[in-house]
Amino acid sequence: MNLQSDEAKAEAITVLLLEDDAPTLWRLQDALAKAGYQVRATGTLAEARACLADGAPQVLLTDLQLPDGHGVDLIRETRQRFPDTEIMVISILGDEESVISAITVGATGYLLKDAFPTDIAATVRDLVAGHSPISASIARFIVRRTQNTPEPPPGPALNTAKLTPREIDILWGIAKGFSYAEIASHLSLSRQTVPGHIKSIYRKLEVHTRGEAVFEAVQQGLIRL
Amino acid sequence: MNDHDDDVPPVMSGRERGRLQSSRLVQYILLQALIAAAAIFALRQSLPEPPAQYQVTAFKLSEAGVEREVTLPHFSSLRHAMDDPPRFTGQFIRPGDEAARAWSVFLPRFTNGVEVTVNGVVVLDSRRDPAANRPDRNTPAIAVIPTSVLHDGANAISIRLFIWGPITGFLDRIWVGPDELLRPSYNLRSLIFVTLPVVFSSWQAILAVILGIMWVMRRHEPAYGLLAAAMAVGVAQAFLQTPMGETAFSRLNVVLISSAPIESGLVLTFALLFSGWKWRHYGWIIFVPGVLLALAGLFGNQALSRVLFLFLAVPMVGVSLVIMAVVTARSVLKRVNVASLLLGCAITIMLTCWIVDLLSVFQFMPNRIFTARLSYSAMLVAIGAGLTWRFARALNQVDGFAGRLVTQVREAEEKLKASFTREEERARAAALARERTRLMRDLHDGLGGQLVSIVALSERGNAGAGIGDAARAALKDLRLVIDSMDDIGGDLMLALGSWRERAMAQLRPHDIALDWRAVTPQGLPVHPELRPWHVIQIVRLLDEAVTNAVKHANARRVTVRIETLAASDGLDRGSITVEDDGKGFDVPPADESAGVAKAARGLRNMRSRAARVGAELDLASGAQGTDQGTRVRLTLPHRFPDSDAAAG
Repeated sequence: MNLQSDEAKAEAITVLLLEDDAPTLWRLQDALAKAGYQVRATGTLAEARACLADGAPQVLLTDLQLPDGHGVDLIRETRQRFPDTEIMVISILGDEESVISAITVGATGYLLKDAFPTDIAATVRDLVAGHSPISASIARFIVRRTQNTPEPPPGPALNTAKLTPREIDILWGIAKGFSYAEIASHLSLSRQTVPGHIKSIYRKLEVHTRGEAVFEAVQQGLIRL
Repeated sequence: MNDHDDDVPPVMSGRERGRLQSSRLVQYILLQALIAAAAIFALRQSLPEPPAQYQVTAFKLSEAGVEREVTLPHFSSLRHAMDDPPRFTGQFIRPGDEAARAWSVFLPRFTNGVEVTVNGVVVLDSRRDPAANRPDRNTPAIAVIPTSVLHDGANAISIRLFIWGPITGFLDRIWVGPDELLRPSYNLRSLIFVTLPVVFSSWQAILAVILGIMWVMRRHEPAYGLLAAAMAVGVAQAFLQTPMGETAFSRLNVVLISSAPIESGLVLTFALLFSGWKWRHYGWIIFVPGVLLALAGLFGNQALSRVLFLFLAVPMVGVSLVIMAVVTARSVLKRVNVASLLLGCAITIMLTCWIVDLLSVFQFMPNRIFTARLSYSAMLVAIGAGLTWRFARALNQVDGFAGRLVTQVREAEEKLKASFTREEERARAAALARERTRLMRDLHDGLGGQLVSIVALSERGNAGAGIGDAARAALKDLRLVIDSMDDIGGDLMLALGSWRERAMAQLRPHDIALDWRAVTPQGLPVHPELRPWHVIQIVRLLDEAVTNAVKHANARRVTVRIETLAASDGLDRGSITVEDDGKGFDVPPADESAGVAKAARGLRNMRSRAARVGAELDLASGAQGTDQGTRVRLTLPHRFPDSDAAAG
């Protein structure tokens, strides 16, 4: 994660923030505002939807458990209406349960609620630059879903059929704690292309429509017609 | 009955096989000729005789009203002489000095019965001895002459020879002399011709039972049943007496005694089946002579039976023997096996004896010792040996099969056990994963959110930085606990991957760089026995090392080295080293309990964690104030312990 900031570029970033816990909301808002981003903070789904009606933000940061609904719905709506908006889920534990469910509806990254302010700003900036963050445990979860086990492990459903062997190798490297540079050298890739691969992986894990979801479920044998 | 021990390779060409077969045939015939010659040689050996001086051979024979001089042995031309038996009269001299010794009259061989009179007194009547009444047995007779009857000098001896067929009468040379000199010869003959047949018959009885049981247990092998029947008939025949009178019971006796053709028919059928012949509908021809003879015994008179016996039974036995010899020879050539070879040799011996007996019946031999029946015992020996051989071989096969089966069952059991263990392992992992999901949701909804709020609030107030750190540490620990519950399949690298992220997040605010070096490409060896609690101990230990670097060492860079060390014993061990470039400290001895400084407590914790997972902890630090830093090296065990012994 590149800590060198590009102030001129950062100023332009518009962020819609949705978090129901007030202290956390303030904290995140502070961190982003101090970095010079244009932040609209909301506490409920309704408020956030109202903001979206005014126009698309560059980045949507949303919690999942909300007083008037679930963040997943907002992510899905935003993804459909504003395909260019980068979506990030705010997670307490960075666990696959919340992160994967957000990724399958269109999120391309996650943010830990207790992350340090500088990290929060850097993560958002990287996301806009096309670098999707991924944690070792999320990578581990995804690669384990690519292995054929008789019984799918518990957790959110995930279709990994579209992932290429190279992408799976990258995920293995991340799961084992290798840096992007190390992975790039092991797989003979350019170091700069690895984050792009991550975003591509997220996109491939996304279930775009209901119809596609059903199709994929049939393909994987989850549903029998 | 199918011995598949054909040792002729199937790839052999027809000509090669033909040559091999003919060379085998020649070998077999030569062997049988040798055996026949040996048998003839043995038969030519005369039995030991008493001293010649006591032999009496000159007699006056009065037969059918005619009187003439004869010299024993004498063949009578009569086949039936019960009412007017030929009478031999002669005399012997007893020296005066022999009066103190008991004298006997010894008749080694006669057919069919004799009555011996010395000086007008009857001393012996063989007709009362059932064994002696069997013309096919060579029963000798001896009788002690009462002293009162004898007198010094010439004594008159007269022998009446009773003949009742089916063969002509015969009287061998006789001996009259001291009992002690005659007795050994008698005893020897009695042993060979009376006792031995009884022994063989007992053997036959045992074989009948064994074969009968075998047949009952293995109905699909009728050959055993046939042989058992043959044995039973043989036993009945051997122990029944020749009927002298006409009773209802005696008719059955006649049938059984003249059962030789039935017996030989049964044995023949056995030999045919044994050599792989299939029963055909015309097979009953084999039993025609036997049945005819039995019917004659039941409905005709004894004379008819005896005549038929001579003309049906004896040729039947011979024909059977010849067929068996041919069939067995073929069997030996086709399937080389010990049982057939032994049977073939026995048949040759029997056939030789049968021919010699026939010659003797037709008076081509100077004597009349019948050995066919006795040689039948040779056959029994062969059958007994053959069956034992087969039985032992079958047992060996069963043992081998059972051994293979036991091995297979054990293998299957082990596979099953392994798959059961795998299944158990999988179920355990699934249960753990479910539990982890549940715990994660609970923490997410409750504790986790509250901790995040504390972090946020503490930052906002600017007063509770310590509280914020504590809350952040608690969150970090929560993530560790949840992370360690994930099934990482024994690959500690997967746990270290998450730990790296957390360590980086921890070090970043302090501007400490994390240098991560996986020295060996695979990182650490995979440990299938790795459990979540091992992972927690190791990760907390590493956390402790990093925390020390942050809090006490004032370090700028923390280096984590991950490598697999190839030990001299061939067991690879993983090693994780955490090194900082900060101030070192004096490493307190491991056993020092009075941990005053916080660092000392941290070190003690690290040591105890290492001990619990069976790892070796190696601490090295430059002295306080120097810039050599601290190095914590954790050498993982080759195998992680199953239970947390140190905790208990």
